[in-house]
Amino acid sequence: MVAGDIVLTGLMAVLLVGVAALLTRVENWRSYTPLAGGGAVTGDEAAVINREKPAGIIRWLTTVDHKDIGLLYGVYAVIAFAVGGIMAMLIRLQLVTPAGAILGNNAYNSILTSHGITMLFLFGTPIIAAFANYFIPLLIGADDMAFPRINAIAFWLLPPAALLIWAGFFLAPVTENMIEPARTAWTMYTPLSVEQANPGVDLMLLGLHLSGVAATMGAINFIATIFTERNEEVNWANLDIFSWTILTQSALILFAFPLLGSAIVMLLLDRNLSTTFFAVEGGGPLLWQHLFWFFGHPEVYILVLPPMGLVSLILPKFSGRKLFGFKFVVYSTLAIGVLSFGVWAHHMFSTGMDPRLRASFMAVSLAIAIPSAVKTFNWITTMWNGRLRLTTPMLFCIGFVSNFIIGGVTGVFLASIPVDLILHDTYYVVGHFHYIVMGAIGFAAFAGIYYWFPIFTGRMYQRTLGKAHFWFSMVGTNITFFAMLALGYLGMPRRYATYEFDGAIAPLTQVSTFHQAATVGAVILFIGQLFFVWNIVQSWLEGPKVEDGDPWNLERDGMLDREFQWFDEQLEAEAPEKDPSLLADGGEEEQDDS
Amino acid sequence: MAEEPGLSDQYPTASPWPLFVALGLALSEIGVFVGLFPVAVFGLILFGGSIAGILTESGYVERPWPTLLGVGVVLIVLAAAFAVWQVPVADIALSNVGTGPLLTRLVAVAAAGTVMIAMGGVASIMEQTAA
Ligand code: HEM
Ligand SMILES: [Cu+2]
Repeated sequence: MVAGDIVLTGLMAVLLVGVAALLTRVENWRSYTPLAGGGAVTGDEAAVINREKPAGIIRWLTTVDHKDIGLLYGVYAVIAFAVGGIMAMLIRLQLVTPAGAILGNNAYNSILTSHGITMLFLFGTPIIAAFANYFIPLLIGADDMAFPRINAIAFWLLPPAALLIWAGFFLAPVTENMIEPARTAWTMYTPLSVEQANPGVDLMLLGLHLSGVAATMGAINFIATIFTERNEEVNWANLDIFSWTILTQSALILFAFPLLGSAIVMLLLDRNLSTTFFAVEGGGPLLWQHLFWFFGHPEVYILVLPPMGLVSLILPKFSGRKLFGFKFVVYSTLAIGVLSFGVWAHHMFSTGMDPRLRASFMAVSLAIAIPSAVKTFNWITTMWNGRLRLTTPMLFCIGFVSNFIIGGVTGVFLASIPVDLILHDTYYVVGHFHYIVMGAIGFAAFAGIYYWFPIFTGRMYQRTLGKAHFWFSMVGTNITFFAMLALGYLGMPRRYATYEFDGAIAPLTQVSTFHQAATVGAVILFIGQLFFVWNIVQSWLEGPKVEDGDPWNLERDGMLDREFQWFDEQLEAEAPEKDPSLLADGGEEEQDDS
Repeated sequence: MAEEPGLSDQYPTASPWPLFVALGLALSEIGVFVGLFPVAVFGLILFGGSIAGILTESGYVERPWPTLLGVGVVLIVLAAAFAVWQVPVADIALSNVGTGPLLTRLVAVAAAGTVMIAMGGVASIMEQTAA
């Protein structure tokens, strides 16, 4: 122990000295000139500066430019998606046979836990932040975010968060399983999560806490940006729909994440300093469930509202019509935002809570389906009689609507107490929320990536690969998660590494068949994602350069938004220096550079 | 700007501090909650130092040292308050550091605070006498 402490002290001292040395090298602390409000320098000072950013890796480590940070978030989220996706494949492979094909119980539970947390906190929230960072300032005509440095801090909290959340996997082999991956499931229910002595759980909780701090900082920044940084042409009446959903999402984050953070700290104190917040003799184990779901239900809307905004923004562009009932889409967003704080106990119907309370939570849960349906009808009506162009982003939008309908309708069934008492903790619930988290949120993210690919790469993706990606994803998602709905009806409980039950729980033959179907679907889905990665990487490196500031031909319908106008200006500013012959009066081509 | 400009003066959209604020916060949390004394101390110093740096760089304060000193004071006050509130008076003794889970953590926080006060104080004085 003492030797360990000395090593650790040495390590930390070296680190600190290194940081200090680095900082003195790159920064001259005496040269600081006060600038108002912490914003980026503009005006006369900018004039003497010839380049915006340093070169190479330093640029990415020190950037406070919202577009760079957006890209960092995007890359981070896609990597997390790959990690979470590989974990999902392991889960599906395990379940092809009733006895479990590849993993032991402990490994299965570790991977299940990490899969959920990775997808929700390291993929879902960051991929939304990626779009919001890159495009909100462009859409509202702002120079940057309101607090560019806080923006960067929020991003840089995420890599340590990921390392902590996955820490058990790295540390188990080197510590002889003293520190193992957490096996609490993403809901971390007490008393289980207090009793697991494994320090890996503490590390995972700390990682979650950091990711929550990051999300909260980001949310404050978006609220401040949307309120104060709009250019004078943008007012509340013509604010775009994506910004509205980000604004609402940020408000939800502001109320939900600090609560999760506090609950996590309480859990950590229970684990390490023998407090009794969630002990039977203290607050009781159910307290955790209330606190967790008071965060947890808004969290699902934190994850789904901005994707809804993306679809509301993109789908009209390829329907040749403005978004139908724009105002009502905004109102329904706000309504969902408010209602989402009044439904949390629908995750706890089977805990033996007061039946009168339970009924009121059921009522609000059913009510929240109304604004969700308003949106769905508005998307459908937008497409109705439209001039549809089935580009890849449009296909993903349509897939979103289709999957969201199934995900939403199954949710309404679960919100009904008698139905939930039967289906709770079965694969039906897993099917329900995966239709939304994969089928809707994932699809909207893909739609956004393809739609804006020309802007953030300056190149075009390969259309055929894009369509293959869509069809594999659509077919795979529906096979996998529809099979899960069926498994739930058959009575297959969730979170089991094996399913060799006796026939009274669930009919084994059918259960195996549907599990195998789900795995086949997952393989199809996985292949689709290989097309995606290949397409993005190759097109980014060598796709055809986009020369037109309006690659989607939106001008024709009067739907060219500010971000593509910005892109157009950007292209025009670059064009002459790259290729002199593009000058308006350039005349003949230069002979020597052909 | 008579002197060599630093990175964040040369480039309007760059700052070295956010990365270290984040790293500092992460290390502090690990150190304090997992109970790793050295990690807690160094993490907090890095965190406080980066806060002082980023506030100075963005012009909210003129010099970093008073901020560093201030963060140090806040940490010591916090640690002391927790100690008075949660640790039995009889147990507050140097010989008990390393045994009580809470006391050890509080001492780590206070140690970080002390270092920051010392660094901030010394640097302030040096700067004023040099100028
Ligand atoms: C149309 C409105 C919706 C209703 C009425 C609804 C209802 C429900 C209910 C009652 C449950 C609890 C089932 C149980 O554990 O027995 C549930 C679970 C869940 N829902 Fe929904 N839902 C809706 C939309 C959504 C959306 C939009 C998302 C995601 C963005 C989502 C994500 C989830 C998740 C993640 C769970 C499972 C949590 C867990 O136990 O691990 N739901 N839903
Ligand atoms: Cu819910």
